[in-house]
Amino acid sequence: MALGSTHQHPATPLPLLPSSGKNFKISKDFICRWELNPFVQLAHRPTDGWAENSLSGSIMLDTRDLSKVYGRGKQRFEAVQQVSLTLRQGEVLAFLGPNGAGKTTTIKMIAGLVRPTQGQVTVAGEDPHRQPRALRHIGAVLEGNRNLYWRLTPEENLEYFGVLRQVPRKVAHRRGLELLARFGLEEKRQTPVQKLSRGMQQKVAIAVALIHNPKLLLLDEPTLGLDVEASEMVKALVRQIAQEGRAVLLTTHQLDVAEELSDRVAIIRRGRIIAEQSTEALLREFSSSTYHLEVEGDLSPQQIHTVTQLGATVQGRQITYAGPPETLYKLLGALSPVPLVSVQRDRADLTQVFLKLVNDQPDVSP
Amino acid sequence: MIDLLHAELKRTWIQFIRYPTEVISGIVIIIAVFYGLFASAQYIAGPGFAFGDRLDAVVIGYALWSLIISVNNDIAINLQIEAETGTLEQVFLSPFGAPRVFLARAFASLALRLVILVVVVLLLMGLSGSRLAFPPILLLPLASLLLGGYGLAFLMGAAALVFKRVQQVLGIFQFLLLFLLAAPLEESTGLMQYLRFLLPMLPSTGLLRDLMARGLRLDWLTYGLALLNGMVYFALGLLVFRWAEATAKQRGSLSGY
Ligand SMILES: Nc1ncnc2c1ncn2[C@@H]1O[C@H](COP(=O)(O)OP(=O)(O)O)[C@@H](O)[C@H]1O
Ligand SMILES: [Mg+2]
Repeated sequence: MALGSTHQHPATPLPLLPSSGKNFKISKDFICRWELNPFVQLAHRPTDGWAENSLSGSIMLDTRDLSKVYGRGKQRFEAVQQVSLTLRQGEVLAFLGPNGAGKTTTIKMIAGLVRPTQGQVTVAGEDPHRQPRALRHIGAVLEGNRNLYWRLTPEENLEYFGVLRQVPRKVAHRRGLELLARFGLEEKRQTPVQKLSRGMQQKVAIAVALIHNPKLLLLDEPTLGLDVEASEMVKALVRQIAQEGRAVLLTTHQLDVAEELSDRVAIIRRGRIIAEQSTEALLREFSSSTYHLEVEGDLSPQQIHTVTQLGATVQGRQITYAGPPETLYKLLGALSPVPLVSVQRDRADLTQVFLKLVNDQPDVSP
Repeated sequence: MIDLLHAELKRTWIQFIRYPTEVISGIVIIIAVFYGLFASAQYIAGPGFAFGDRLDAVVIGYALWSLIISVNNDIAINLQIEAETGTLEQVFLSPFGAPRVFLARAFASLALRLVILVVVVLLLMGLSGSRLAFPPILLLPLASLLLGGYGLAFLMGAAALVFKRVQQVLGIFQFLLLFLLAAPLEESTGLMQYLRFLLPMLPSTGLLRDLMARGLRLDWLTYGLALLNGMVYFALGLLVFRWAEATAKQRGSLSGY
């Protein structure tokens, strides 16, 4: 087999390169990721030899100060500036940013399709710009619906692209059938891609991107232009794919997609990364420290007095508290023995985080 | 590499055959053109003219010319189509590297064209009741001709990668090519007699004419030079293609920005 054999991962995690600045918060996040992400199950191990992953979480993608300048003179335009990212196996990183922020350019630089003006890309230890062999590790579904040959059927597309990615023909054929079965496309395997719905085409495109069992999957706006049902399907697939131990980098300008799918988010604006953190931590950081409590039964006047003294407001059975978290326990003590119904903290969603970040950041002129 | 060749053959064939009406109408058009050519040549030659080398030469000459034209445009046109349909970048993601993939594609499409040509010629022979003699020795200058032809195809492909819209250029180029291939520079004297070895494909077409129309035997020295000519243009084509690939990646214009 052409793949996989040359890259046995070391049993111990690769030492993190010397942390230089904010883009290397990963190690800590990675450790707690398993608890935070409900979709990742430690016990899950594919049995069909699809991914020979250990859980060591070795680095699949590393970019260093990637920059891209398009054009010259008056037309000179810095589309991407000093983007450094690290992605480990099994991890989903959402690359989030408004249109024109430089997401597609970054993805194409990683895939070796656009030459960086500066900086370096390493995919599973190899540089796709120097060694075409490095492309064996990369699967990509690029923006739009045209990653496939429309006159060929899904089965034929899978076999063709498999061979194009250096998978032996027979293996490509067999894997193609497996992927079609797994993606629920068996019935359509003989229908020319042209005649499939947009959602099915996207599923076939993802299957094609996986035909050579890549370690890194790049998805550029994977749910763009899909209806709700199809985008749910695609999201579920992305989760599965990460569970197999592949690293997934997806770009999106849709916040909900990033929030639902990613372990980490990198927010990019005008070519620069303005925040990069685990999705959970980012949400936590931006969540306010306002708590909503509900009790079952009425509070005594004495209790109401104490609670108000502690800085909370009482409205019938609803109590709202905004203050230091330590005081929250005093508050809870004061409520005893009235039964509690719920304690909830206000939670930000990515939309709020995003708007806040994008609005707060002063324009950095180069 | 064998697998890649096989896959390209299969892909080319499936894309060709998937819509049979297109195939049939295409073949009918080619046959009509050939038959017209054949009949008019016969008419011009007059009824007393025995079927001989001359008529063979007309038909084979036309067949070769159409083959070379399509070979020349092949890579550029496919690059442009795939840039528009969006599959081009997926092709450039191949660990084989683009030149090898496009080489395999060139072989595949040549094979398909040869098959079509043979079918057409056989049908034509059935229609006209005449036979076309095709001495196997013709394969030698044909090989050097195709080598040079694919060299030019890669040059055109490079132009398509860098300049995107190449339709007009291809048209002009086709015209030049017709002129080049038809001009019997091998009959010229003086400086041109030597210069023609520097022009693409010319030494090979001269040899083909020697063999088919003039009834000469293959001159091995000239053939050696023709082969060298083919190889040099082929290498040049590949070289320029790689440069064009790097340029397109630099500009971020692979998919036609
Ligand atoms: N090949 C190119 N030549 C010149 N400018 C480009 C090219 N590709 C992208 N751009 C510009 O770079 C910016 C970033 O584009 P892109 O990476 O496609 O953003 P995104 O995917 O985040 O929407 C845009 O302003 C776009 O117009
Ligand atoms: Mg984009």
